[in-house]
Amino acid sequence: MAKDSSRLRLNILGIVALSLLGALLARLWYLQVLTEQEFQQQAELNVTREVAIQAPRGRIFDAKGRVLVDNDTTLVVTMDAFILRDQLPGRDERSALALRLATEISMAGTLTKAVSIFEAMNDPKFGPFEKIPIAEGVTDEFKVWLAERGDEFPGIEIEQVTVRRYPYGATAAHFLGYVGAINETELERRATSQKPYQRSDEIGKAGIELAYEDVLRGVPGTRTIEVDAKGNLIREISSVNPQPGTDIQLTLDIDVQTLAEEQLASGLEFARTQQEREKGFFPAPAGAIVVLDPEGAEVIAMASYPTYDPSEFVAGISAEQFSALLAEENHSPLNNRAIQGLYSPGSTFKPFTIYAALNTGLMGPRGRITEYSPINDPGYFIIPNCTGGCEFQNAGRNPYGAVDLRRAITVSSDVYFYNLAWLFETAPGVPRESIQTNARSFGFGSLTGVPLAYEAAGLMPDPELMAQRHDEFPTLFPEREWRAGNTLNTAIGQGDMGVTPLQLANAYATFANGGTLYAPNVATAALDPATGEPVVEYGHRELSRLYLPDSIWQPILDGLIGVTAQEEGTAAEAFQGFPLADWPVAAKTGTAEQLGKFDTAVFAAFGPVADPEYTVVVLLEEAGFGGDVAAPVARRILEPLATDTVRPAEPVDPTYREALGLPAVPIEAEGEELAQGVPAEGGAG
Amino acid sequence: MTETRTRRGLNPRWDVNSPWLHLDPLLVLASLALSLLGIVAVYSATRGIDPTAYNTFYLERQTLFVLVGVAVMVATSVIDYQTFRGWSPALYGGSVLALVAVLSPLGSNINGAQAWFELGAFNVQPSEFSKLAVILLLAAFLSRHEGDLALRHLAVALAIPAIPMVLILRQPDVGTVLIFVAIVMGMLLVGGAQVRHIVVITLLGIMMVGVIVNSSLLEDYQRDRLTVFLNPDEAGEEAGFNQEQAQIAIGNGGLTGRGFGEGDQTRSGLVPEQETDFIFTVIGEELGFVGSSLTLLLFSALIWRSWRAARLSRDQYGSLICVGVLTMLMFQMFQSIGMTTGIMPVTGIPLPFISYGGSSSLTSFAAVGLVLNVHMRRWR
Repeated sequence: MAKDSSRLRLNILGIVALSLLGALLARLWYLQVLTEQEFQQQAELNVTREVAIQAPRGRIFDAKGRVLVDNDTTLVVTMDAFILRDQLPGRDERSALALRLATEISMAGTLTKAVSIFEAMNDPKFGPFEKIPIAEGVTDEFKVWLAERGDEFPGIEIEQVTVRRYPYGATAAHFLGYVGAINETELERRATSQKPYQRSDEIGKAGIELAYEDVLRGVPGTRTIEVDAKGNLIREISSVNPQPGTDIQLTLDIDVQTLAEEQLASGLEFARTQQEREKGFFPAPAGAIVVLDPEGAEVIAMASYPTYDPSEFVAGISAEQFSALLAEENHSPLNNRAIQGLYSPGSTFKPFTIYAALNTGLMGPRGRITEYSPINDPGYFIIPNCTGGCEFQNAGRNPYGAVDLRRAITVSSDVYFYNLAWLFETAPGVPRESIQTNARSFGFGSLTGVPLAYEAAGLMPDPELMAQRHDEFPTLFPEREWRAGNTLNTAIGQGDMGVTPLQLANAYATFANGGTLYAPNVATAALDPATGEPVVEYGHRELSRLYLPDSIWQPILDGLIGVTAQEEGTAAEAFQGFPLADWPVAAKTGTAEQLGKFDTAVFAAFGPVADPEYTVVVLLEEAGFGGDVAAPVARRILEPLATDTVRPAEPVDPTYREALGLPAVPIEAEGEELAQGVPAEGGAG
Repeated sequence: MTETRTRRGLNPRWDVNSPWLHLDPLLVLASLALSLLGIVAVYSATRGIDPTAYNTFYLERQTLFVLVGVAVMVATSVIDYQTFRGWSPALYGGSVLALVAVLSPLGSNINGAQAWFELGAFNVQPSEFSKLAVILLLAAFLSRHEGDLALRHLAVALAIPAIPMVLILRQPDVGTVLIFVAIVMGMLLVGGAQVRHIVVITLLGIMMVGVIVNSSLLEDYQRDRLTVFLNPDEAGEEAGFNQEQAQIAIGNGGLTGRGFGEGDQTRSGLVPEQETDFIFTVIGEELGFVGSSLTLLLFSALIWRSWRAARLSRDQYGSLICVGVLTMLMFQMFQSIGMTTGIMPVTGIPLPFISYGGSSSLTSFAAVGLVLNVHMRRWR
């Protein structure tokens, strides 16, 4: 009995064993044969990662082949938030790590805040497996230090990355622009780009970096790698090499650019030492200078003040720093006033009023007056048959007496132009808006077409615009009717007229080159980064040819030459001692009056007159008379150009200085321009 | 007559004085084959990813354990198992003392369990050996009360495993306690416990598991592991993650496997405790369904031959030893493979012969040695 029972029970045990084995076999069959593919895909996803390899951006060279924006490698501390969260699940643990890390990095020489590290951990901008940069430019010693303490800092690594270097420091900052991490809008807009973008990629944000983004950007490579559970590399499966971006050669000459920036800053500094009779010291907070080659309107220099240091953007800029660069109380250092600033051109507009008069036939052999007809300038002009606000004056109500075309430009007689404007208003057969129409043909009131972003179009007031603005904003613009007074103001570049310094320079360049309007160029060629050979050459972009026969050109030119060359010229004092005999300069001063503000000083010039090589526009905000403060600045730019004595610009970056055989630290240039003295008093604007 | 006698005389297998001639070669071969498979799997799981500097530490140690294990197997089969009947109370007492000692500062805590003695370069896990001590004592006790087991005898039979179980639960090592439950149930079944008693014990056992899971005896992570199996959707938890990764590894193996050293999951180190509790994932991923079923086949051979030895044993004592070993191996195999394939909860139990570990390997070989012992002395 017992034996049989024991046998039976053993059999039960055997059946249990068989069924357990069967269950395991069935489960294995299910996992390994029936659903194998699903698991294989999961296993692959688990262990392969695609990593983008940064492609270096193209470099930027000046017209003479000197590198203005270069690439450099730097050590960046990165953080893998996924691993970090995995290893340190507690919020407190992570914030303790952030604090310790920030302390260590800061002690190693790169100031870093714990808060920004902690915030970066949770920044949605970065993908789950992406490495978040937290500090740039750490030393090799710190790299070694961290490598020895990998366990204490999970997910924290040091990577070598390519960053932008600026051998000439902040010089040409506005022009060159800067790069930064791509944002959502940019990512969307570039979704179909041939060179694909990823979150946290860098992209040109302004200036050349933005304008030639498609050229400068390289094609990133990809590396498909197998990783372990901690994200460590096991092996490389495949890789596609990155293609470096294409280099750009600019029309800019860094020597002239440096000169222009120095003169802009010291010109403003000088203006601040001057006093206006009633309002006190001039604030002279900002300004811009543009130097163009009239043939093709190539930008040789473009300066804007105040400026900024593009290298601040290299490691990523903080929100505070960025808003400080935009703030109006700091005079918006990030704005490139040469293309974004809108100013009344003041008297620098007058040559274009003359052009309108000559071109329409209002002035001329069969016109109402000739270029030689003297007009009496008693210092004021009263609109006939008018009620209220009818008297228009010269600056300081200065009477100039008998004034013809040439003298009107040379001494800048407003009354002469009021008379012309009155003729435009009244003469039959001449369109009332002739000044505007003709000015537009020089590019006023529309984008110049320079390939830089955020360019302002300018404003050329006319009856239509006036009515339109009143209809849209009746309180802001109470007047709807265009009156004779508006034409008078337009004739002397006042009123609502708004031009950018580049626009003004381009209009003068058009006049200087004999009447061809070009879209200004900033680059001459895209260069192969390996060979330096041009891949694309950027030719002149002619927009139109103006009617500018000698009969129109010569009298205006004579007037402009008189500004510097004749004793009564408004810039004669500023150009005293200038080699005008060898290198005559045609120029016009301007003083733009602004309600409730100090006058803006403007000066436009080109030379040498016979075959103009340079057009210069100097604009100093709230700095006084154009002839007093702007003209001397232009003179100090033109004189080295005329005598071929422009001082070669020196890089500020020690590495680049050494390459040129310069001492690593610049020796302070003594006896700066200010000491040389600037004529304090001058003619009218 | 004479012919028969002659044949008997000529066939050494009939010579009861030569137990070695009655050795079960299949049992030996199956254990050796599983051990080899184990060495390969341990190496693959631990060698690392650097081809120029593979880590051979575990490979060497496991090979050593297997060699010592074979010696232990020989030793446990040489001595007539009847001798163990007398030794078993002493062995049992010794292992209980060891389990008490391991809870004292003499023992070491590794991975949250106070279960090891550190002896030089080796860590000894007394709970592994206590399984055999319980099997031997319980077999001796139950065989003395052959037939229907009276309630008071049943109480003693339950008390024998209960003492080490409580001590092991203090470490805490739920897995090993569960192995004891399986061993005791199997031995009581075959050892003649009354059916109604078995039913009651089973119910009590289920209740006890419930109490353990909900008591403060378990750390949170242990409870998570046991219950995540019931709620696999909560895969975000660590335990669920481990089990999911294990299944991905096994599924990734497919029919024929990724090949030795080619398992993506194995190489990535995505499966935790891969050289011990989750060792089967290496076999599953790198050797595929073919390798997995071969492993199951080898375990089947172990179980079948142990079952056969239990049937053939000349006495109830030997039979119960074989049943104890059988249920031990069977439960460990089912739990370990079942856990990696997702049909059993996550609780750390070594896969006999395959998982890395000295104590586990020696215990497995000793256990098979006991079965061999019973089998080859079935005629005397």
